[in-house]
Order: sequence, then C-alpha cells, then structure tokens
Amino acid sequence: MNLLRISTGLLLTTLLGTAACSSTLPPNELVTARSNFARAQAGPAAQLAPSDLDSAKKSLDQAEASFKDEGDTPEVKDMAYAAARNAEIAEARARTMQANQLKDQTNASTRANEVNQAQVTSAELAKTKGQLASSNQALATEKERREDAERRAAQAAADLAKFATVKQDPIRGMVITLSGGVLFESAKWALLSTAQTKLNDVADALTKQDKDSAIVVEGYTDSQGKDQMNQELSQKRAESVRTYLVSRGIASDRITAQGFGPGKPIADNTSPEGRANNRRVEIVVKPKN
Amino acid sequence: MMIGTASVVSGCGASFPVPTQKLADAESASRAARELGADKKTAAQLNLKLADDEIAAAKVAMKDGDNRRAEYTLLRAKADAELALALAREQDAKVETNKAVDTSNAKQNANANANGSK
Repeated sequence: MNLLRISTGLLLTTLLGTAACSSTLPPNELVTARSNFARAQAGPAAQLAPSDLDSAKKSLDQAEASFKDEGDTPEVKDMAYAAARNAEIAEARARTMQANQLKDQTNASTRANEVNQAQVTSAELAKTKGQLASSNQALATEKERREDAERRAAQAAADLAKFATVKQDPIRGMVITLSGGVLFESAKWALLSTAQTKLNDVADALTKQDKDSAIVVEGYTDSQGKDQMNQELSQKRAESVRTYLVSRGIASDRITAQGFGPGKPIADNTSPEGRANNRRVEIVVKPKN
Repeated sequence: MMIGTASVVSGCGASFPVPTQKLADAESASRAARELGADKKTAAQLNLKLADDEIAAAKVAMKDGDNRRAEYTLLRAKADAELALALAREQDAKVETNKAVDTSNAKQNANANANGSK
C-alpha cells in the first residue's frame, strides 16, 4: 500500500514537473528573439554580417530547443534574451559596415573630385600659359616688325641723305626733297638721264621702307610764269617721278602723285637761289597708322 | 513525496560550477564597450547599464551559491555588453560618415563656386 502511494506520488510529481517544463506558450523573450532574428535575416545583415547572423541563429536555436525541452523557464528566457540581443548585434554590425562603406565611397568620390578639379585647374593654367605665350609671341613679332621697319627707315634715310634732303616731319612723315634742277630741264617734265640714276637710288631706298607705308610724290614750281601752267607742270613732273618709281618696283597702289604749282614755297621767290629751292619734287613717305 | 520533489528540482536545474570564465567574458565585453565610450553614447548607454547591472546580479547569485542563475544572468550580461559595443561602433561610424559627407559637400560647393566665378 505504501509502495502504491509512493508510486502514485512519483507519477503525479513527474507529470507536474513535465507540465512545468514545457509550457506551450513561448515567453515574451523568445517571441522577441524570433522577431529580431527574422528582421535581421531580412535586412542587410544577411549580406554584410552573415557570421554574426549565424551566431544569432545558433543562440535562437538553442533557446528554441530549451523551450521545447523545458518550457517557459527562467533559463529559456535568459537564452532567448541573449538570442534577441545577438540578432540586434548582427543588425548593428551590418549598419556599421554600411556606414563605413558609404564613408569609403564618399572619400573616394571626394578624392576623385579633387583629382578632377586639379586636372581642370592644371588645364586652365596650361591654357592661360598658352595664351600668355601666344600674346608674348605676338608682341615679340610686332616689336620685331616695328624694329625692322625702323631699321629700314633709318637705312633708307641714310641712303637718301647722300643725294637728297631728307627730313622727318612729325605730321607728314619722311620727306625726301629733290631739286627740280637735277630732275628736269626748264619747263619740261621728262626726266633727265642723270635724274633717273638718282631716282633709282630713291626707289631702292623706298623698297627698304615699310611695305605698308603710303608714298605721295608732290611737284612744286617757283612763282614765275602763269599759275595754271605751273600747276600743270608740277602735276606732270610729279607723275613722271611716280611712273618711274613704279617702273623701279614700287607698288603702284601705294604711290600717288600731286602737283601744287608754286604753292607751299620753302624759300623766297624773289632771288634766284630761292626760286631754285622752290622748284622741287618732294617724296613723302607716310607711316602706317 | 520528498523524492518526487527532488526529482523535479533535478529535472529543471542541477548544481553548476562557478561561472568564472563567463563572468570574465562579460566583464571583458563591458570594458571594451566602455573603452569605446559606450557609457557616453546615447545609442549604447542603456545596454551597457543593463550589462553592468546583470554582472552585479550574477556576482550576488554566485555569492549566494546559485551558480546556475549566475551563469544565465551572465549570458544576458555578455549579450548586452556586446550589443553596447556594436552600437557604440555604429555611432562612431555614422559620425565619421557624416563628416566625410559634409567635407565632400563643402569641397564640391567650393569647386562649384571656383568654377562658376571663372
């Protein structure tokens, strides 16, 4: 009888014990752990923190197994609590990796932009240098051209000074004055043969001048005789000189002829010497503007 | 009946060794989190506090001879400490990322202004 009572007591106690260890309702900690793990598994942790996610899975499996064996016990709650935290750890580490990746990408982009900006700056600097060099070259070319023109003018003036009066007029330009007596017979406009020799030198000197300068051949007479006749004579003499100079290589489009008759005398017409000086041809070389 | 009661106790919890290693692991994780400034970081403060409280509770349980309770409390403590560490690192990473983004934006704006003024 005592044995029966003991056996019945044991059976009852065992049943009660089993019921205590295997409650069908999971504790809140386990519910949270399942939820956390499912969220972590569906998030970036699956790709970025698989090892941490695996640890979380193992801890959740252990909690589940214990719950299955023991029911809702404090230890199952502890294990489930830790499993829930492990899932959160996996998520936090995944977010950390995402942040680090974004930081690396941003830094790489910043560096690329800096390199690009440096290249842009370098290209702009090279362009500016090129423009500066081009400007300097243009300036040097212009300076060389001017110096060359000045050398030519100086040489021409020196050559002409040997047989003509050469003056530099600030308004008119270089004025070469040839006496009418050495170029023409009295009242004629045909060039003397000796005049041609001198005009050859003038032509040579003019070809050394700046090719862009304009040339005007101006004819003058003294005041003796009728003005009309003197005007025609001075015009024809200027044209004779122009025609000859063109024949000697001066471009026809840069040389013109104009007669002024007794106008613009440079000496007194009452004396023979003065009249001789007034009978003249002036060749004016106008500088390029 | 006494035998039956003993059987129930035996089924749900036997005597446990002192969880010295588990205590060391939890304390180590807590220290690491604190060294990373988890105690001053909003996101990590709570979990570090929980870990410290759980470690303290485990020590009390160990003193009382309840090593089983101590071990499972330390399981919580270690998980909380490690989560505090992970959250502290995350916060640091986000701060660094925000700095990088701000720097990038500032440089892009400076370049845009420089290029625009040419």
